Amino acid sequence: MRYDSVTDVIGGTPLVRIDAAVHGLRNIDLFAKMELFNPFGSVKDRAAWNMVRHRLAGAAERAETVVELSSGNTAKALAVIAGMHGLPFRSVTNRMRVPEIKDLLLLLGAQIDELPGQSECLDPTDTDDPLTRMYHTVSAAGGGYLHTDQYFNDLNVEAHVRGTGPEIIADLDGRAPDYFIACVGTAGSSTGVARVLREHDPEVTVVGLVAEKADFIPGIRDIDEVHEVGLFDPDVYDTIEAVSSDEAIDGLLTLVRRCGTLAGPTGGGAYQGAVRYLRRLDAGLTGRRTAVFIVCDRVESYMSYLRERRPALFQQPDRTHSVRTLTAEDLAATRTIGVSDAQEWIAKENPLVVDLRSPFAYRALHIDRSINIVDDLFAEMLHGGLPFGRRQPVLLVCPVGEKSASYAALLTRMGHPDVRSLAGGVIAWRDAGAELVRD
Amino acid sequence: MAPKLQPRVDGDLGSLLDSAAFLHQIVDALGSPLNVVLPDQLARNVQGFRDVYQARHLGGGIFFAHKANRSRALIRALAATEAGIDVASLAELQHALGAGFGLDRIMATGPKSREFLWLAARAGVIVNADSTTELTELAGIVAAYRLPRVRLMARLSGFASTGTNVMTRASRFGVPAARLATLWETLEKHQDQVEFLGVAYHLDTVGLPEKAVALEGCLHAMDEAQQRGLRPRAIDIGGGFGVSYLDDGRQWEAWTSELTGAVLGKRPPITWNGHGYGLRNEGGTVRGTLSVYPAHRTTSGPAYLDRLLGTESAAQRRALGTLLLDSLYDLHVEPGRALLDQCGAVLMRVEDVRDDLVRVAGNSADVALEQHGVLMDPVLVPRGAPAGSEPAGVYLAGNLCLEADLLTRRQVYLPARPRPGDLLVFVNTAGYLMDFSAGNALMQPTARTVAARRDRGGWRWCLDDQYWPVTGREETG
Ligand SMILES: Cc1ncc(COP(=O)(O)O)c(C=O)c1O
Ligand SMILES: Cc1ncc(COP(=O)(O)O)c(C=O)c1O
Repeated sequence: MRYDSVTDVIGGTPLVRIDAAVHGLRNIDLFAKMELFNPFGSVKDRAAWNMVRHRLAGAAERAETVVELSSGNTAKALAVIAGMHGLPFRSVTNRMRVPEIKDLLLLLGAQIDELPGQSECLDPTDTDDPLTRMYHTVSAAGGGYLHTDQYFNDLNVEAHVRGTGPEIIADLDGRAPDYFIACVGTAGSSTGVARVLREHDPEVTVVGLVAEKADFIPGIRDIDEVHEVGLFDPDVYDTIEAVSSDEAIDGLLTLVRRCGTLAGPTGGGAYQGAVRYLRRLDAGLTGRRTAVFIVCDRVESYMSYLRERRPALFQQPDRTHSVRTLTAEDLAATRTIGVSDAQEWIAKENPLVVDLRSPFAYRALHIDRSINIVDDLFAEMLHGGLPFGRRQPVLLVCPVGEKSASYAALLTRMGHPDVRSLAGGVIAWRDAGAELVRD
Repeated sequence: MAPKLQPRVDGDLGSLLDSAAFLHQIVDALGSPLNVVLPDQLARNVQGFRDVYQARHLGGGIFFAHKANRSRALIRALAATEAGIDVASLAELQHALGAGFGLDRIMATGPKSREFLWLAARAGVIVNADSTTELTELAGIVAAYRLPRVRLMARLSGFASTGTNVMTRASRFGVPAARLATLWETLEKHQDQVEFLGVAYHLDTVGLPEKAVALEGCLHAMDEAQQRGLRPRAIDIGGGFGVSYLDDGRQWEAWTSELTGAVLGKRPPITWNGHGYGLRNEGGTVRGTLSVYPAHRTTSGPAYLDRLLGTESAAQRRALGTLLLDSLYDLHVEPGRALLDQCGAVLMRVEDVRDDLVRVAGNSADVALEQHGVLMDPVLVPRGAPAGSEPAGVYLAGNLCLEADLLTRRQVYLPARPRPGDLLVFVNTAGYLMDFSAGNALMQPTARTVAARRDRGGWRWCLDDQYWPVTGREETG
């Protein structure tokens, strides 16, 4: 297929059946609306494009900056679109909590502003919170901003009234599904789709999913936060249910491992929330029913999130040459050397002095003629074997002599005959009045 | 009824609450309101911070921020530990000197008057300079009176972040990190008057990323100082480690949810006159920000310090605590609130109970819950047998005869309806909530303070002023 602009590729995403052997529902056909196929990677491409496309020309004339309060997919899509039109993009957020998205936004040339945390010593008369102040700044007319205001902007809903909703009906041969399940962030996608489905068939059941309170699923709100969303109208949903990040990850794993769908956490949450909801009805059904949920975005951006919550998924077997495998005997065999003996040894035998501290600290002050290999890097080097010959004596130093002792033990175990660790480390060296230099 | 917010109570504070007869006795003798401080707990809290240092092999001082409480007993008990003290006024400095702190253990912080600078310099305590002008003034005093060199930290502010722009509330304090050159020049010029120990910051925020940016900024400033030939050795990262006031995070979540519901009119109010604590209803959408202290925190006090030290520097890709250690720097901290966790309570007698309004002998300046936005229930200590077991949601009115004098605008939850003569105990209030702004409006009495310590299953107490760490039993001990 040929397009003139990548923005023409937005929308028109497929509706894909989830294998009944996976979801286990007997009377319900479950379909995923594959929003992860949008060109910038998520359902938010639709909203972002719809909110700015009529305003880009004017913004370019006035040299405005596109701005949005977003730390996720909306920011990503807007950054791309702004870049295509030569406009700067600024993302304002309380916290950039997903490092991959942060890096991607920086890569796209976005400016990211993280708002300050709450005051520790509260001044309750100060009602002027940073978010409200920022909101006023970017919303002021003539202030140099094109503020897309996704939580309050009807064009966000309209993107789905025109696109997502009708596409679902068309793909179900002109029928609305019996159940529609979606995660709620700005409420734009769920509200827009629900409106179209209901107009078609008032009997549709709409399930909104939010995160459990004090839990975190990137992209969606928790049960209290949804009330801060201007587009959120509780009457749109027949029911609002909470999903935990644990459930979202379970769902994500099912989708990526068994369904060939590389969904992110909210896709997983929508799947898990849908199956949980539908399972309760399934047994009591007599005829066939259809359900649709949204897969909002892709898994690749959430590796740190997954690693933090499910480290077991990424576990690597321990490597052999690692300080973690040292035994008490290995450690007992370490040779340590005090400051004055070390000075003598250096003068006499000229051992290689390896300073394991950070380059930053090494640069400020170090033992003369020592070389700097920061411990992380040294650990990497040792995985491959001894990094220096056996006839080369080595003195390892670190701040207090603890890390150097374990690396000395490891090198000894690896067969090096003369590695020593500076007892008490560079701190003992300094406190003994021995010379430290800055090159 | 309003959902509960039960305070977290540990150790001595817990057993104090179990000693109803003792509590009634001291209030009968000394009047309501009455402050109780627990000096022994303070020493344990110092150890909690020290444990974090030890696990990371770091050295440096734990300076208690005196401003969080004026009790003499607490300060004198602290002097018996290894901790130092951060004094922010002339009177606090005098107080610290009188309590027996050695000169290495006193750090003068904040903007200082001439008199404060003079006494600090004369006594020889560490001065944490708030600006270059103050540094010059200090040097002038040292030179004029031929005083010995004063050990000096320089407070910085306005640190720049890398990668994302981590915003922070503008601070009125400290030398702007972008203008370090002037600082170095001033330090070099006054080398005979001041000995430069290192740089400092204190940020009034619960936000860890902001503090990480500041600490990283300090590391860079130290590097710059080294390049200029100065030999600084310590970084002072101020206070702001926080306290978790509530026992159960779910209660906090439930309460904030209910408040949202109340603001939207979906349930009856749970605050006086439907006060929203910063939230408001605009056409069915909640706007504004909840402006109260986060009463339940998963990471506070020493654990917060540990978290900060474990945070990776954006530029060096290495934990900030490891960078400090690598660089051989000492780390100083100035915790106020966090060191006073579980160190005291305010007792108030119930005067009158009418419908859902309970009037107590004390007011909102005696226990500054509202002023500091700390929301938690008091503990009811009945005078005799409890009045029943029906829980009650009540508002607490003070003794100032002002419509606004509510101890908290939150409806509090009590396990039973109180009766006149019962006590309400506001626990864990030693940090800022006890006497920070007590006055004597209407000539109402201000609270006296007693120091209490556990002693063989019972309690010993004395007036705050009478407390000294010595017990008289040292010879047998
Ligand atoms: C990953 C992800 N999932 C779900 C959503 C929710 O979509 P909506 O904002 O339309 O409610 C978002 C939107 O921010 C998102 O980024
Ligand atoms: C310079 C300085 N250090 C330390 C503190 C203590 O802060 P906290 O009680 O939050 O630990 C303060 C409080 O205002 C301060 O201004």
